[in-house]
Amino acid sequence: MENTEPRRHFFDLKIPLGGLLGFYGLLLFFYGIFGPSDIYDKSANIDVNEIWGLVMIVVSAAFLFSAFFGRRAKK
Amino acid sequence: MKPVILLNPIDYMILGAYVLVTIIVGYALKKYMKTSEDFFLSGRSLPSWITSLAFLSANLGALEVIGMVANSAKYGILTVHFYWIGAIPAMIFLGLFMMPFYYSTRVRSVPEYLKYRYNEATRGLNAISFAIMTLLMSGISMYAMALLFELTLGWSLTSSILLSALVVLIYVFFGGLSSSIYNEVIQFFLIWLGLLPVVYIGLHAVGGFEGLVSRIPPSFMHAWQHMGSASDNPMGVDWMGVVLGLGFVLSFGYWTTDFLVVQRAMASENLSAARRTPLMASFPKMLVPIIVVVPGLLAVALLPQFKVVPGGPSPDYNSALILMFAHYLPNGILGLAITGLLASFMSGMAGNVTAFNTVWTYDIYGSYLKKNMPDQHYLKMGKFATVFGVIFSIGTAYIVRSFPNLMDYMQLIFTFFNAPLFATFLLGMFWKKTTPWGGFWGLLIGISAAATHYVMYQMHIVHYSSEMAANFYQAWWAWCADFVFTIIISLFTKRKAESELVGLVYGLTPKTRSSDNLFKKPAFWGVLSLVVMVILNIIFW
Repeated sequence: MENTEPRRHFFDLKIPLGGLLGFYGLLLFFYGIFGPSDIYDKSANIDVNEIWGLVMIVVSAAFLFSAFFGRRAKK
Repeated sequence: MKPVILLNPIDYMILGAYVLVTIIVGYALKKYMKTSEDFFLSGRSLPSWITSLAFLSANLGALEVIGMVANSAKYGILTVHFYWIGAIPAMIFLGLFMMPFYYSTRVRSVPEYLKYRYNEATRGLNAISFAIMTLLMSGISMYAMALLFELTLGWSLTSSILLSALVVLIYVFFGGLSSSIYNEVIQFFLIWLGLLPVVYIGLHAVGGFEGLVSRIPPSFMHAWQHMGSASDNPMGVDWMGVVLGLGFVLSFGYWTTDFLVVQRAMASENLSAARRTPLMASFPKMLVPIIVVVPGLLAVALLPQFKVVPGGPSPDYNSALILMFAHYLPNGILGLAITGLLASFMSGMAGNVTAFNTVWTYDIYGSYLKKNMPDQHYLKMGKFATVFGVIFSIGTAYIVRSFPNLMDYMQLIFTFFNAPLFATFLLGMFWKKTTPWGGFWGLLIGISAAATHYVMYQMHIVHYSSEMAANFYQAWWAWCADFVFTIIISLFTKRKAESELVGLVYGLTPKTRSSDNLFKKPAFWGVLSLVVMVILNIIFW
């Protein structure tokens, strides 16, 4: 009934999730810096790849850090 | 037709990485799938942050995202009713009042609850109709998605269908519900991160929120002000229709009895987490309009083809989102947006497939075809059901291709089953005098009432200002029919002994006292969610 012991935990989802978002973040960030710049005519002259790349790097870092420290805290 | 979106290698890398991670996550979960309960219910071991995001994501399919952007371009901010009044009260009710019956009784599916509370016939009626509808819906959304990709990206229908079906098949086959849920969480973040840039750039291009308001019709900015009578608002529905049909019957019918979403909560690690699942999900749910309603409004403000011209041809609203992508997103972020859309599609489809394989294996195969087999047999059957469920969905997609009108009918027919079912559950859970046969006949009469109403509307015997109004009132009358007839028939048929109903009915179930602190208490989250919803409705009155 209430609070039955969870039998086991699967692997930590934060790792693949943080990894994927981190890959996207880096890819978009560097494409934003080194890629063509005329494509931003569409997007109101905002280099949205660079900005959004950074956002995703931050989100990814948050997941990876919490996975890393969460595991250390358990030990 | 020339595709409006051209992807480049960067975009394809983003799409490819998504597909790869999805499959890896599914494969990595394979070794944990030892019993049928691991496969169908994730061994009831997941924390509530994961189950609540999956709960939301399973409902955020591509058809839903694209359709709601279309609604927003057509009706304006009225679309928020599908997210606030049309979802939040039902999610709170599920978490606070219904989840204990689902979780504590250890039933493995929604139809199984009906078996214990009512009888085998009621379960059979629900299990079979649910299994068929689930696969049909999954095929329909697959077709809709593939059609959209064909028109905008130039991908062939068959390659879109096969790619998405194959990926979903692989990860569900290996990891069952766990893999579906894990991927739904990943998909949740991709949908948000993929759709937010178009909101950001669109708002920038239109001159901020004020610029947006000045460029759309005034009635598009109020959720309730124009709901006094059906003829005053673009949706053609009055407030009664919204509150009773959408807010009460359709929403409660879906969120509290549809196994697709309830299954996610059942995978939680304990009762308290199961109850928190829909409650925590209600907060991001209230924010979903940012990524669906705002792009629709932006399309009206920015794209000339969505300007409302009285008497002019009706624009193709379903293309609103993708045209916003095409006009405002540069490559790179474009790939991310398409990935978000693909992710939303896959989360919806995997949700359908996992709900199907569970109901098929436990409630149809394991109950009628081969009873009392060893657990491993059912685990195998679950994997096999995943395969033929996907194949059947693909078949449906091609049937719908030849008969595109089927799509509209199917959506409607789906509400035939969901709307009355909520009355059956409500009476079953909260009135101990409801009898097994009262439940069965009440449900059947409710479904027939919905069908009858539909025929009457089609034959112009009853009239409404819009299709949506007809749909909302149809749900309401079907619910009433089920409710009234279940009570009447219950008065004349034999009840179950009270001892058989312990744990299944309110009042016969000992109250659980949880020792959780405030932030883990379901009631705290329920009240908070309700307050936030009321405030949002007042802001956008």
